[in-house]
Amino acid sequence: MSAVTSERTETAESVIAVSGVGIRFRRNKRGRRTFKDLFAGSKRRSRPNEFWALRDVSFEVRRGEAIGVVGRNGQGKSTLLKLVAGVVLPDEGRVAVTEGVAPLIEITGGFVDDLTVRDNVYLTAGLHGMTRAEIAARFDDMIDFAEIGDFVDTPYKHLSSGMKVRIAFSVVSSLEEPILLVDEVLAVGDKAFKEKCYARIEQLLAAGRTLFFVSHNERDLKRFCERGLYLDRGQLVLDGPITEVLDRYNRDHGTKA
Amino acid sequence: MTSATVQRLIPRRSAGARYRHSLWLLTSRDLRVRYSTSALGYLWSILDPLAMSAIYWFVFTQVFGRGVGHEPYIVFLLTALLPWTWFNGAVSDSTRAFLKDAKLVRSTAIPRSIWVGRIVLSKGIEFLLSLPVLALFAIAAGAEVSWQLVYFVPAILLQAGLTMGLGLIIAPLVVFFRDLERAVKLVLRFAFYASPVIYGLGDLPGDFRTLGAFNPLAGIFSLYRAGFFPQELDWTAVGISTALTVVILALGAVVFRRCERAVLKEI
Repeated sequence: MSAVTSERTETAESVIAVSGVGIRFRRNKRGRRTFKDLFAGSKRRSRPNEFWALRDVSFEVRRGEAIGVVGRNGQGKSTLLKLVAGVVLPDEGRVAVTEGVAPLIEITGGFVDDLTVRDNVYLTAGLHGMTRAEIAARFDDMIDFAEIGDFVDTPYKHLSSGMKVRIAFSVVSSLEEPILLVDEVLAVGDKAFKEKCYARIEQLLAAGRTLFFVSHNERDLKRFCERGLYLDRGQLVLDGPITEVLDRYNRDHGTKA
Repeated sequence: MTSATVQRLIPRRSAGARYRHSLWLLTSRDLRVRYSTSALGYLWSILDPLAMSAIYWFVFTQVFGRGVGHEPYIVFLLTALLPWTWFNGAVSDSTRAFLKDAKLVRSTAIPRSIWVGRIVLSKGIEFLLSLPVLALFAIAAGAEVSWQLVYFVPAILLQAGLTMGLGLIIAPLVVFFRDLERAVKLVLRFAFYASPVIYGLGDLPGDFRTLGAFNPLAGIFSLYRAGFFPQELDWTAVGISTALTVVILALGAVVFRRCERAVLKEI
């Protein structure tokens, strides 16, 4: 993508293109693996123990869109998010993401118990592509947002679990990436902080970020998203306005009278 | 929030720069964790080869008469034991390359070979930091130094390539076959005695000598030793080492690419 000059003018440019994507997992994680399994060409493999978590999923996301992913547990929502984040790779089809991604998935994953909060912030933000100068410029904001000013030089392991999530959210949401992926991480933490996180997400959306949001909470989905993707049994069943998608989901599963 | 627009303040770096940046971040994290969690920190990376050298020096010069290697034997030992410590540490740590940081691997989309590369690099840096010990013993024992000390450079490059290649093969396979972790430890213990560390390649009798040259470490260690013991330099062994390193590295790249998809699903 070389259209750097006209970045804001073409608001309708596609930034995530998922075409014919399929990914399969093993049903039984403890099951036996053989060398043949690993190295045989993907066509010739016999895989009785595998199932398709997603199959034939295609959609495009344009810059600035806010997409909510709807579906029951185990229907491939999180997998789809991970595919877009590039932390798993599809077995079929193609996922093309043309802009940087800030993934709010397993956000505390990058933090090391033995290092201080300061070291951890530099490490995690750095791994997501920020330079030292960028981190330094934003460091105080991140700490303020997480409300852990007194613990900057405390080893990460001594923080409370709430603090851990707060600093992690603060770091990842401060990444200056145009695409924001949010898995239901925000279910943790107290109510006040959750509201603060949502306010931050709204702020980012208003600034033109693209949002990809996985949630079970209808209110949250309606609050952030205008478009919805409804996944069922690994298939993309419906791609349309969020209210329509939620109506269809409720009809199928009778969660609301 | 300070930024009100989507545009980045600083332009995106190239893929190569990002790779190096991530590699360096993880490597320095490894080193920092190791040094910040133990009081002796840096000393540990030296103490291990030093204790081993003391043992072998005692056994082979005081208990048995020394029939192998050259004087000063302690320098002879260290020139191969320090690189061996790097090799051993990196290969055995690569069995846990994905498992140890599973959460981090699951949440960051950096090129996956970094998880192996950072082990080779951090152990390599520890190796470089341990070289002053070799210098100290060389001076104390009055070892003669020649210009062939420059062969340290190709030796380090070859060893980095060989270790990386093995790591690329072992790291993904261990995710599927956990037994491999123990198997690797066992093979490493065997490899220590099968490699010219406490002896030189030339000390092996007849057939074993030819066989020994096909150990990729033999040529590499002979390069390390050339600076102090020019008679140890064996170009045949070096040639074989280079060829094997290239083959293992290529094999590693193939295995790694083939397994990457499955590894990411498994962890």
